Formats: sequence, C-alpha cells, structure tokens
Amino acid sequence: MEEKTPHPDPPAEATRRGFFRVAIGILGGFIGLVLGIPLVGSLLGPAFRKKPTRWARVAVVESLPLGQPTVVSFTNQSSEGYLRETVVRNVWAIRRSPAEVTVFSPICTHLGCRYDWEPNSGRFLCPCHGSLFGLDGKVLAGPAPRPLDTLPVKIENGELFVEWERFELGISRKIAV
Amino acid sequence: MPDRILHWIDERFPLTAMIRGALNEEIPGGARYAYALGSATLFVFGLQMITGVWQLFYYVPTVDHAYDSVNYLRTEVPFGWLIHNLHYWGANVMIVLVGLHIARVFIYGAYKAPRELTWLAGVVLLLVTAGLVFTGAPLPWDEPGYWAAEVGTTIAGTVPLVGNAVKRLLRGGDVMGPLALSRMFVLHVVVLPATLLGFLAIHLVAFRNFGSVGPWDESKRKNAGEFWPDQAFKDTVVAAFLLLLLVSLCVYAPPPVAGPADPLDTSYIPKPEWNFLFLYETLKFLPGRLEPLGTMGIPLAGILILVLLPFLDRSPERNPLRRRFAMAGGATWVGFVVTFTVIGYLSHPGGVGGTTGPPPSGSSASLSPSAREGSRLFGSLGCNGCHSINGKGGSVGPDLSDESRRGHSRAWLAAQVSDPKSHNPNSIMPSYPTLGDTQLNQVVDYLMSLGAVDPSAGGASGNALPAKEKPASPAHPPRHVAPPSVPTTPRAGLAPTNPSLPPAAVHGAGPLSGSPGQGPPGPAASVIGSVEHGARLFRLYCASCHGTDGKGGVPNPGAEGGTIPALDPIQRKFFSRDPGEFATNIDRVLQHGAIPKGPLPEKSMLTFGTTRSLSQEEISDLEAYILFLNGVERAELKHPGIPPGTWFLVVIAAFALVVAGLTGYRALLFRKKPGAQ
Repeated sequence: MEEKTPHPDPPAEATRRGFFRVAIGILGGFIGLVLGIPLVGSLLGPAFRKKPTRWARVAVVESLPLGQPTVVSFTNQSSEGYLRETVVRNVWAIRRSPAEVTVFSPICTHLGCRYDWEPNSGRFLCPCHGSLFGLDGKVLAGPAPRPLDTLPVKIENGELFVEWERFELGISRKIAV
Repeated sequence: MPDRILHWIDERFPLTAMIRGALNEEIPGGARYAYALGSATLFVFGLQMITGVWQLFYYVPTVDHAYDSVNYLRTEVPFGWLIHNLHYWGANVMIVLVGLHIARVFIYGAYKAPRELTWLAGVVLLLVTAGLVFTGAPLPWDEPGYWAAEVGTTIAGTVPLVGNAVKRLLRGGDVMGPLALSRMFVLHVVVLPATLLGFLAIHLVAFRNFGSVGPWDESKRKNAGEFWPDQAFKDTVVAAFLLLLLVSLCVYAPPPVAGPADPLDTSYIPKPEWNFLFLYETLKFLPGRLEPLGTMGIPLAGILILVLLPFLDRSPERNPLRRRFAMAGGATWVGFVVTFTVIGYLSHPGGVGGTTGPPPSGSSASLSPSAREGSRLFGSLGCNGCHSINGKGGSVGPDLSDESRRGHSRAWLAAQVSDPKSHNPNSIMPSYPTLGDTQLNQVVDYLMSLGAVDPSAGGASGNALPAKEKPASPAHPPRHVAPPSVPTTPRAGLAPTNPSLPPAAVHGAGPLSGSPGQGPPGPAASVIGSVEHGARLFRLYCASCHGTDGKGGVPNPGAEGGTIPALDPIQRKFFSRDPGEFATNIDRVLQHGAIPKGPLPEKSMLTFGTTRSLSQEEISDLEAYILFLNGVERAELKHPGIPPGTWFLVVIAAFALVVAGLTGYRALLFRKKPGAQ
C-alpha cells in the first residue's frame, strides 16, 4: 500500500506572484468603480431628470374682466441646461368668478400655432388650420385633437400665479413635454 | 469562450504578443515604489483624459457660455463636481508627479546613453504638460483663467522679434476674446493631447527598449525583479492611493467658484497659479529692459539645459555622490524654483481691493490735525466707496488724488460736500447737510491737502503689480453686458444717466417701495458669481451705505425707519433658500435700483445694472456675496449625485474593505500549514 505524503506548500514565489495578480485585479476594480460610478451617473442624471417648474406671477385677479378671455403677459425664467434666460410669455386668462380663474396655454393643441379670440363669435380660432374652441376650451370644430390646454394656477393674496408648461401636440391626451 | 475569442484575435492581430512585450520586463534590483512615479504620472494623465472628455459632454467653448456651462456641470450634473474637481486637482498633481519623475530620473542618471531619446521625449512631455496647464486655465472663462491667459499671452508678446506674432497667433487677434478661447480650446483638447500621446508612445517604446535603469550600485542590481506582476502591483497601489488623495482634495479642497471673466474689472488682481509663481516672482527682480530675461531667458535656459543634459553629461557614472557638479546644478535649480514659488505664494499684490478705511493722501504725518480728522471723516462717511485717492477707493465718483490742484476754492468744496446739487442739479452725489461747520472744514482741509504733497509718499504699494498685468483699457467687451449699439465705457466717472431715475436716486435704500419685481432680472441673476470677489466689490461700492459686512445702521433721513437697511440679514421678502431665486430677487434691485419708502428719503438705491455702473459679472459677484452673508451658497450643489462628504466616506469604506480583504487573503495564502517545514 502506497503511503500518503502531505501536500507540499506551493512555492512561495508563485504564491507571492499570485497574490499580486489578485491584488492588481481587486485594486483595479476599486479604481474602476470609484471612477466609473460618477462617470455613468453624470451622463444618466440630466438625461432622465424631470424639468422643475416654477410659479410665475401673472396678474392681479381683480384686474381681469369677468367671463372675458384676456391675454396676460408675464416674465418666465426659462432654463435649459446651462442656458437660463428671462422670456416673456402670453397666456389666455378667463376669470370665471371672483376667485376662480382658468388659464389656457396660447398654443393650439393641433400643431402648435397661436390661436386668437374672436369676440364676435365668442370662440377661439386657430388661423393655421381653422380649429375652433369654446370659452371652456372644448373643440367646436377643426382638426384639433383635444381641448385647449389649461395651465396650473393658484391665487395668493389676490394675485394670479401660473406654472408654465408645454404639452405634446397633435394627440388626444394631454401629456406634458 | 474568452480563450477562443483571444485566439481568434491573435490569429489576426498580435495582441497577446504585444501584451507580453509590454508586461515582461526585467527590473534590475527588483521592483520599487520609487519606480512608480512614471506610471503614476501616466495614471493621472489617463484620469485627465477621461475627466476631460467627460467635461466636453457639457462644456461650451464660447465666451458667453463657457462659464455657465462649467458651473452647470459643477452644480447640476450628478458627480459633475467630482469630474470637474478631479480634472482641476489632477492637473496640479500631474505637475508635481512630472517634477518628481524628472528628479528621480535625474538622480538615477537615467538620461545617460543609451536612454537619451527617452529623456528627450520626456522633456517634450514636460513642455506639453505645461502647455496643457496654460491652455486649460482660460477655458472656464473665469477671472483667474482669463487673466492668466491675458498675462501669459502678453508675456509671449515680449519676446524680441517674434513676440507680437506669437501673441496674435495665440489670441487669434489683438485681444483675449472668443477667438482666443477657441484657440486655447483646440490646443487643449486636440493638438496638445495628440502631441502628448505621440511622444508618450516614443517615451514608452524607448524606455522598454533598454529597460529600467535600476540602481547605480552594481551589488544591488543582482536580484532582478519583473514588471509583471511585481512592479505592476506597486504601480497599482500607488494609483489607488493617488485616487484617494485626489478624491480627498476634490471633497475637502474644491476649487473656488472664481466669478465670470470680466475684462473691465479693475478691482481684480491677477496672480498666477502656483506652478507659474516662480516665474512671476522672478519678474519682480527683473524690471524694465531686463524683463525679457525673466519672461523668456530663464524658461528658455531651463529648457535648453534639459535638452542638452544627456549630451553635456556623457560620463557613464550614475552614482549621484560622484556627480557632484550635476547634483549641485539640479539642487540649485530646485532651490530656486521652490524659493521663488514660496515667496510668490506669500506675496500680496497691491491694488484697490479690500480697502475699507480712508485712503492715504500722501504722508499722513504731513497733514494738519484738521486735515487728519477730515481724512478720518472721509472714511467714516463712506466717501471712499465712490471716490478713489491714489488708486484706492471706489470709481463711481471722480478720482480725488489731486483735488487741491483742480482749482476748486474752499467755499466750492464746502458747498459740494454739503449740497452737491448746488453745483449740478443732476449730481448723483449724496448731500451731507448734517455735517457741522467744524467737520465740514475738516473734510475740506483734507480735500485741499490731496495732491499738495507727493502722492507716492504713502500711497504706492511696494508690491504693485507689473504694469503688464494691469491693462489700462481692455479692448474686449465683457460677456452679457452691453449690446453692440451701447458703448461700454470704463466705470470711472460714470454716473447714472437714466432719465427715469429721480434726482435723489443715489445711494443705499431704506425699506424699498418696489418689491423685488419692479423690473425684470438681468443676466447676472443666473450667473454664479464669486463670493470672494463680491466681498471686495461690496467694500468698494456698498459698505458705505449698507455698513461693513452689510450690517446696516447707516442713517437715511426722510426714509421710513430712518436708516438704510442691513443686508445681513436681508429683508424677508428678498430671502429664499433657493440660491437662484434669492439671486433673482436681489438682482432686480441691483439692476434697476429702488427708492425707499418714506416722505423724502435722502438716499436711494443706485441702479447698478441699467446704468452699467457695474458690469453684469460684478453684479453676479455681489449677489453671491450677499447670499453668502445670509447663509446661502450661490454655487450650491443642486444635483450632486452623492453629496461630496458621503461619497468620500463611501470611497474610504470601500478602500478599507479592499485592504482588509487583501490582507486576509494574503494571510491565508502565506499561512504555514501544519507539518510543513
């Protein structure tokens, strides 16, 4: 019967070199992660970030005529990446009661033209493709796929604030861009 | 599967052979941490390449967007702060590593035959690195970067015969403007990196061809080690520690937001980064006609010595103790650079920034007691907020350095101080009707003394900058400021000329009649200014009315409350935790001014923006400072990814885990088994 001999130790040199290889791999992985996570995060973050919205002071509510659409202008801080600028925007505001105001985006829901109020017919008319909207924003005629887009509003201390938003065009659902 | 792929590649491309060629190298005397300096430099260069390319995803190389795009990266892109800061600190660390690498090669005599070409390629790499530092500085288009390039290209212009052509070539014209930025950008991201990569290849191939030089002592060269994995392990350990160092610097010593470049800003005092300080300091010892010796002579001599070194020192001896001449020369050069860098670092260039007290009027000892008291009043009344004397003070009002020679009588001066509108109904200067006759006389005595004595006796600073660093009339229009149809004039003597401005609209503000919405915010509202520079400007333009550090308390008869309001803390209606909103609120007042509530306020808030008495860049700096006074950071990290402090802890914890794991693994490997001999 053959006698079992104890397993010899691996040569120290080979063990040392093996350790170095493993250590290089692990330290390299550490360096890769410390750099890789920020690099990937910096590209993904802005790409999937929801755009913040801000309330803009638009008008004193009492200055709006009751039941009559009025164009009101306000300055809005526009921000796109590193570009920040102050832009003047117009919206249609309709004061329905002393404390209730509806604000429509001035952009036609069909293809983005600017519509106008026809005081004689009491309707909004888009000059581009003839879409007609009622005072409540509903589509009366023409190719517009959905009613006029309302904008979020709030009234504080008698002042009207609006959150400027844009929406997808040409579709029946109102989806913020 | 990976083996099959590798085999497939090897049949078509000698990949394995190339990797083996790169890794299998004998190192005389064995691997050492001292040999890791070259690979550490290479590691940091790789880091610079990666972080540089990543910044390009956001950076825009135009004068009107460069600064904002860099700050967007720093504050609103997840980990943008880390990427930007790594690039900044990586550049600094790379210079140190290059210096140490050269020093080691020099001490080891590794430049000698047959390694001359390795050395020469290394010298080119050093110059390209210096070029990268120089061309990278102006890319953010902030104050230090702009002025570094302005001064640097001006220095290039002092080279005899070709200087002007070189300067124009670098700038793309006369002035530091959009074309200069484009050129610096292309040099920094294309030309110089490509050159560096080319010479790096030569450097590495030449290095591998003759191998590591090893110790100069023959007895220590016997036990040869190998690059893989012995030296590679040490290189990786050094790289990991370097990364830890860089992350620590990025978190705990981030580069400051230095404020947008403003070529018209006369209150900014440029001082080069530490790596060019020794040259800057040298220039102070070489004035006038000797200046080219400092600007070109010394750098050229240094480069020439480096290039010729392997050909001048051809002895095969490498032991530094037997190369005393070479070692003495090297030590002298290092001593010179270090000494002058330290002196340069400790020097404080003179200038108008930071003046709060009464400016000197020559030798104060030569003033009469009454004029000395007038000098004190001049400071306490805040006159120096608008008037400059011997280069110190504000620039809203006329320079009074030589007031005594202007032909104004005592009576005229007294009337001007107590009621400026008696001479000019449109004067913007505030009146001081409450000054008593004695005080008025003291102020007049002081004014009459100005220019009557040699102004250089007490006013000139021994540390004044060389004239080249203070362009008198920058030709480049500042970003964001004036449309082309509006001439951008220097601020000195510029008075608000807005016809809509009430005659009384001069200074300060009580409770404002207008809310923060009396006019649209200007471009400055969205620019992240510099707190440090804002503090300087505040002392010059605002402190006389709003009090030192914005604490208020300055009287404003006729205004509601009777005093000009403090800015620290600021009125509630302006305050916001959101830095952008806060800046927008105060920007409207800075741009359009305001009239305090009250029956007849004596002082009103100046319209700094619409009258262009301050540039938009300066207004953004002031806003950053006012936010700072109220505990809001203008350059707040809005989307840091992981906050810097937390990220540091994560990295340290991960590194500790790696070290603990490797230590345990090593102990396991080398544990003696029972029965083993």
